[in-house]
Amino acid sequence: MFIDIQNMSFSYSNSPANAVEDFTLTINKGEIISILGRSGSGKSTILRLIAGLEMPKGGSFSLGDKTLFNNHIFVQPEKRGIGMVFQDYALFPHMSVQDNVLFGLPKMSRSNKLKRVEEVLELVELEGYEKRYPHQLSGGQQQRVALARAIAPQPELILLDEPFSNLDTELLVKIREDLRRILKKANITAIFVTHNQNDAHVLADRIVKIKDGVIDQVGRPCDLLGSSTDEKGDIELLPEKELVSV
Amino acid sequence: MNRRIANVNGWTIGAVLIITLLFVPNLSIVTGIFTPASENWGHIREFMLLNYIKSSLTLVFFTAIFTVAIGLSLAWLIAQYDFPLRNFMKWSLILPLSIPPFIGAYTYHGILNYTGIIQKTLRNHFDVSVNQAYFDIMNVPGAIFIYTIFLYPYVYMITRIFLSNQAASLVESARTLGKGPMEIFLKVIVPISRISVIGGVSLVILEVLNDYGVVKYFGIQTFSTAIFQTWFGLGDLDSSIKLAACLMGIVIFILVIEWILRGGKKYSFSSTKLRPLPLVKLTGKKAALATAYTLVIFTIAFLIPVLQLLDWVVLTFGKVPMEEVLTYTKNSIIVAGTAASLIIFFSLVIGNFSRITKHKFAKILPKLTVLGYSIPGAVIAVAVVTTFIAIDRYLAPVYLFLGLDSELVLSVSLVMLISAYIIRFFAIGYNSIESGYTKIGTDFRDASRMLGVSSLRTFFKIDIPMMKGAIISGFILTFVDILKEIPLTLILRPFNYDTLATKAFQYASDEKIMEASQASLLIVGVSAIAIFVFNKLLGEGRE
Repeated sequence: MFIDIQNMSFSYSNSPANAVEDFTLTINKGEIISILGRSGSGKSTILRLIAGLEMPKGGSFSLGDKTLFNNHIFVQPEKRGIGMVFQDYALFPHMSVQDNVLFGLPKMSRSNKLKRVEEVLELVELEGYEKRYPHQLSGGQQQRVALARAIAPQPELILLDEPFSNLDTELLVKIREDLRRILKKANITAIFVTHNQNDAHVLADRIVKIKDGVIDQVGRPCDLLGSSTDEKGDIELLPEKELVSV
Repeated sequence: MNRRIANVNGWTIGAVLIITLLFVPNLSIVTGIFTPASENWGHIREFMLLNYIKSSLTLVFFTAIFTVAIGLSLAWLIAQYDFPLRNFMKWSLILPLSIPPFIGAYTYHGILNYTGIIQKTLRNHFDVSVNQAYFDIMNVPGAIFIYTIFLYPYVYMITRIFLSNQAASLVESARTLGKGPMEIFLKVIVPISRISVIGGVSLVILEVLNDYGVVKYFGIQTFSTAIFQTWFGLGDLDSSIKLAACLMGIVIFILVIEWILRGGKKYSFSSTKLRPLPLVKLTGKKAALATAYTLVIFTIAFLIPVLQLLDWVVLTFGKVPMEEVLTYTKNSIIVAGTAASLIIFFSLVIGNFSRITKHKFAKILPKLTVLGYSIPGAVIAVAVVTTFIAIDRYLAPVYLFLGLDSELVLSVSLVMLISAYIIRFFAIGYNSIESGYTKIGTDFRDASRMLGVSSLRTFFKIDIPMMKGAIISGFILTFVDILKEIPLTLILRPFNYDTLATKAFQYASDEKIMEASQASLLIVGVSAIAIFVFNKLLGEGRE
């Protein structure tokens, strides 16, 4: 098994209840997994736990032959070799597209680095945008730069947090298909979090439904069809972009 | 168990170390409470204490109200509207910060007194003589006026930056919902800028409680003047430390209120896309009104005092040798620059620690360092002197080994003065850095680490460049404040080491107001240039 997550649990310091409880999942190499759930269900927390941005209370997680955490080990996020695309992309505003992508590349010659930038920008169809800055790009372009940046260091696993939440419908359909094509072409294992059933069905090989921090259902998209949704496929209609209390 | 240790990293160690160093001298105040009370203390407690509390709180209360009214209204005007002179006013309205309140106080007194320009003009040119009582500003309302006009920029500056960068979508949605400007101001702008306003006004309050120059000059009894009087007048350091402890009590009370008002509700925006607020163009009467309002504030708070100082400089030119003046200027820039740089560096370390450590301890600990700002300069001076003499004693064998023939090395050097500045002014730099960290959030940092980049490299490559604005504004605020500082510099400077502020203060307190104008104007000039540079750099890529 390429990825093995066993009994992962987590609680926030200001709350005694577990935000994630006994999350267990195994994933094959090259598989695309969708974690589907309402906002507040703990789905983003699961992603952050896998990334190493939050420290789990218990459980274990291994990627390939490396253990990334168990009761004795906690590997820092920068040492995990996992890529992540953030919900708001988090492109560094003071760096050009090229510098954003260059930023995460491991030590190699400048020419090799530039070659890699060229490769990934070609993959996301953004050749010629190297010198642009994030604020000069559209939402869809920003999203593709974020993806290119995450893919460039050739991570073993890529995590995507609500990758389509900032895109309009027309763009969404194209990008969703592009994303699957790009991930499959590069044979990258991916986990993405969404509240939208349609996204999950189109993109994922397997869907994990989360409810209140616990796995509710796991299965192939065709097996999970017909669950309660509205016609748009959203199971979550609450506005997510408002002030958040930290 | 091991996983817990993974949480304790270089940032934690650095932050705890710095906080300890900043906090230790404060402890001398706490221990001072428990020393046996002298006869003086009984007298002070019975007859004076209530008066000190009353006058200090009156000054704080009214200054806070007026600075918020002026600071917030100006911030909103500049952030949201375009009107004639707006670009000039945007940075000019910060300039009053370059005038130390004590210089402002003696300048305004000079303007308004019997031989001042107003009375003289009325008498000589219009043959009108007005009762001097109408022009007397050497009282509590006068002090509130002085504090308000020279301290409102704290509220203005912090709030304007916040509004320019963060309010766009909220204001626009309010407008599309059919809300008028007044309603937007009251229902959107006031609530969302609460945190920046509280941040700014808490600086103003701390400045007022610490001020010595204005109240001394105006003859108002407050905690600061009482502490000095008890220490130097009665020679009773123990009682003055007890007074300082009372003052700290008030400050802690204010900090708790601040914490309640903004703690727990620390807004960060879910969107990492920072979009500047587009300007609305004002025309006709409205534009004239906006220009007039900003112009009146600028004239009273900057133009009038500076013109008066210039007039005095011309009148007294040549009385103070140029060479001397250059030396004071150089000294001022060196000490203020060094201390401000160190403060920003320490703030960055502590701020980052507080941001990345998800423990209550990490949120509370940095608040302790702010206490340095609550302790009057004179009391910090005693604490620092005591500490440094102890260090020198401890290091005596090392000095001997190095062949130095003196036993006191650190305690007669600039190191001591700069340490005291850092303790005293840490809060100013830290506030700015902390709000900078709050603004950028943790997404960019997380993104960088997910790209395999270490915490330290992320700090230099991502956090620092994105915090440029906060770093520069923190540096400027600290630098300007140190430049204006009086009591610490007077007590802790090495022998014969004069700065602009000590020179200006000496002349003014010798009633040589005109001679003080040269050093005063230089303080104002250096500060104003610093503010200009700061605005230039900060303006890039923003608007």
